[in-house]
Amino acid sequence: MRKFFLSAAIGLAAITAANKPVLAHGPLFSPAPETIFKGGTEVTLGLHTEEATGAGDRDTEYELAVEAEYGITADWEVGIELPYTRKEDSNSDANGIGDITLSTKYQFWSLDLPGSQYKAAALLNVNLPTGDDGSAPRLGSGSTDVIAGIATGYESRRWYWFASGVYRANTEGAGNLEKGDRQFLNLVGGIRPVLTDYKEPDTVLMLELNWENAGRDDLGGAAVANTGGWELFLSPVVWWTYRQVAVRGGVQIPVASGLNGNQPSTDYRTRIEFIYHL
Amino acid sequence: MTRILRTAVFALALLLPATAFAAQTQYQLQVDGLACPFCAYGIEKELTRTEGLESIDIDINAGTILVTMADGATMSEAQADRIVKDAGFTLRAFTELPAQN
Repeated sequence: MRKFFLSAAIGLAAITAANKPVLAHGPLFSPAPETIFKGGTEVTLGLHTEEATGAGDRDTEYELAVEAEYGITADWEVGIELPYTRKEDSNSDANGIGDITLSTKYQFWSLDLPGSQYKAAALLNVNLPTGDDGSAPRLGSGSTDVIAGIATGYESRRWYWFASGVYRANTEGAGNLEKGDRQFLNLVGGIRPVLTDYKEPDTVLMLELNWENAGRDDLGGAAVANTGGWELFLSPVVWWTYRQVAVRGGVQIPVASGLNGNQPSTDYRTRIEFIYHL
Repeated sequence: MTRILRTAVFALALLLPATAFAAQTQYQLQVDGLACPFCAYGIEKELTRTEGLESIDIDINAGTILVTMADGATMSEAQADRIVKDAGFTLRAFTELPAQN
């Protein structure tokens, strides 16, 4: 029973990892179609937290991650993320390197208009089992998982919108545990309240609607009862930029859920990131 | 005395570098897709790699970039188009402005 609760908590954390943006500019909790300019490098330092309670348990996760993306062309970028994770539950805690993620994104369509852009991109991530899957709580998934998705969006001097769909296919990890596959759908709206000049600080406000669904975990061929289900989040986000420096932060607030059985549900998730274009 | 002064001024004029009187070339680039300053930094980064570039001035609200080249340096439309494209935008118009002294 304990293992199932922990599995669910780790699964929720994995949801965070699967739905986070590959590139900095755009939504905070979901992917954007933007790619970095050719030859450009974007470095991100992020702090993410998550708390889930329920079924007699309280699970907390903190993650400090360094991420880098490089623009091979103006339409194609590659990236890597290195996380350092700390997890706590009611009885134990663990910290160490988490699962490293390799990523790539290809912008297959764009339309540039005066003062605005439409874009669409395909993304592919591979989550490597570099985190310790024997710790309690588990820091890593113990499996190599693939994440694929499509993101599209519109950006103008005043208004923003984004939409994306992501699928995470999990493979079997240590202890014959295969976490349920996950699906994500996201809608985002944003506004730039004040139009500033190029060399002035710039602020954008966004509101995301993030839906996540997870299949039941599979343990040695048997479905795990208290796992899987869906959650819906409303997520306010603030962007602040000045030339090649950006800071963004936000919080995911659960507004509805349909989780299977008796398992912890997400209380909140927060994210703050510092981004620099080299 | 007057003749001496006249000769001195003439000599000074000969000594001054010829380029002091050359015109800097300026171009105005009309760029589509310029919605976000953070993204527009890519154009600044790409342009500053251009040999002979003196300065750039990005007007993100108008969607224009004023490029000033050093004396004797020029930029072609094809060059500007490539730079803008590599930054992730589209060059709508390229105009060479009247010479600035």
